[in-house]
Amino acid sequence: MLAFWLRGYRLYFRMVGASIRAQMQYRYAFFMNILGWAMSYAGTAVTMWVMLSSFKALAGWTFWELIFLFALAVLSWGVCVLFFSHFRSMDQYIVNGTFDRFLIRPLHPFFHFMAMKFDVGAFGQLLFSIAAVVIAYIQLGLDWSLWKWGVFLGAVAGGVFIQSGIVVLISAIAFWTTRSERFYWVVMFPAKSMMNYPLTLYPRILQWLFIFIMPFAFVNYLPALLLLDKKHPVYSPYWGSVSLLVGILFFWICYRIWMLGLSRYKSTGS
Amino acid sequence: MNAIEVKHLSKQYVIAKRQEGMWGAIRSLFHREYITKTAVEDVSFSIEAGEMVGYIGPNGAGKSTTIKMLTGILVPTSGEVRVGGLVPYKERQKNARQIGVVFGQRSQLWWDLPTIESFELLKEVYHISDRRYRRNMDTFTEILKLDEFFQTPVRQLSLGQRMRADIAASLLHDPSILFLDEPTIGLDVVAKERMRTFIQEMNKERGITVILTTHDMSDIEKLCKRMILIDKGRVMYDGGLEKIKEHFGTSRILIVDVEKDISLNIEGVEVIREEGIRKWLRFNREEYTAAQLIQQISEKTEIIDISLQEPEIDSIIRQMYEQGL
Repeated sequence: MLAFWLRGYRLYFRMVGASIRAQMQYRYAFFMNILGWAMSYAGTAVTMWVMLSSFKALAGWTFWELIFLFALAVLSWGVCVLFFSHFRSMDQYIVNGTFDRFLIRPLHPFFHFMAMKFDVGAFGQLLFSIAAVVIAYIQLGLDWSLWKWGVFLGAVAGGVFIQSGIVVLISAIAFWTTRSERFYWVVMFPAKSMMNYPLTLYPRILQWLFIFIMPFAFVNYLPALLLLDKKHPVYSPYWGSVSLLVGILFFWICYRIWMLGLSRYKSTGS
Repeated sequence: MNAIEVKHLSKQYVIAKRQEGMWGAIRSLFHREYITKTAVEDVSFSIEAGEMVGYIGPNGAGKSTTIKMLTGILVPTSGEVRVGGLVPYKERQKNARQIGVVFGQRSQLWWDLPTIESFELLKEVYHISDRRYRRNMDTFTEILKLDEFFQTPVRQLSLGQRMRADIAASLLHDPSILFLDEPTIGLDVVAKERMRTFIQEMNKERGITVILTTHDMSDIEKLCKRMILIDKGRVMYDGGLEKIKEHFGTSRILIVDVEKDISLNIEGVEVIREEGIRKWLRFNREEYTAAQLIQQISEKTEIIDISLQEPEIDSIIRQMYEQGL
């Protein structure tokens, strides 16, 4: 069993290493990709600043609190993109028939597909978000206990699982419809943008959706309530401490649906 | 022992029926009609270890679907499949270790990396020992001259080079059964010949069982003693190549460009197409030689250009329907 995992681990790094070298072949694009993402997120932060300079606070959140909320989401999204970004275009593999390659090798297809790419462009997201979290931490004069650092790490890891879960879930649609990338732009992208702001800005039904169905609230809003000592009349701040648990459960469900899709693919081949 | 055993194999797809026009497109958003399409129907055959078999048929005959079921990509609707004693769709990963697969139109290699890196990655994927890897790489490099392009990224290889790399990659883990789906498609004559020699050598020296799908009749002629011909998902013929050629392979088509556009009435020769000065003549190899025919035509008019066409699979199948076997 241990040997099995060790081999998988080794193989993952070999394949991912190859993917990074492949991306390095286009050196200019490699650096511009990283820089591009960092700049694009910095741009969103500036928009927030412009907005807040005339309103002072948004739903009770100050500028640096908002930056923290935003950066927390970008941080886990960045890690998710590193490992899962290519699931977004899995439908293209299915349409042009190259997906079959993942079924003729002695590897688990999910593992094999996952190991095909490691998107270094995500270093841009990580660069921006780590810097933003650090600055916000200082500006807000935070001084976390060990417990809160644990909550923070749990939120990042949980956020990775939740967002990766959605990306995997959306890619699985391709097993049924052969097309899935548009769902990403219709579902994932707007939802992600909404999570840059406090959940309480949105109607109750959307809040519930983001807590119970598509658990984006566990990526940043709920942990941020806890980490920034903010109060909410309904949602207990301690909900923010279970992000990792929610994330693992959610990811597992999405993974099962992906596997279900794969078995459908094997019986239809389209 | 039989390398491959297929019994009453069928595969049906359920596909959404396309509705015509704008209104149909809107309607199909809410209500879809499905039709069942049979890709493979009641196919049975067995292939002995070490055999080399041509699996041929026109486009959409069900060749690829069969290969996909043998490799474990697709689950059959009904019937039995055994490859090297395994049921591919049940033990897909185990089966993957004993088979090699080449899809002529899609590379299995890492597109953006120098070619040699694909081999090194596959070594890891299949968990191949250093010794075995070295031995195989030395052999393949020598025959296929892979070292000419080891450092070139796969995307920059010519089609011939890519196919050489692809077939070598498929044999790296010493599979006992090799599936080749259109291995010579798009290759020039020299590259085709090189490919065929290599396949033959692997079959002879290593005793690898080879199943080959192709459009190209000459692939079969050069490589296979036996062929399985399928059309519309059913086996039309399974047996030696000689019999097919005797019965149906005797007709040839001569394409001539003549100077004057006159009608060419020659006994026993059928004009099957005419486009101005270009004419397509079908003749029987046993009645005429090409040289005799050309001579007869040149008595009537000046010949500008000529070419000779071998019978294509499609025309053999058409003849089969017309005459029966």
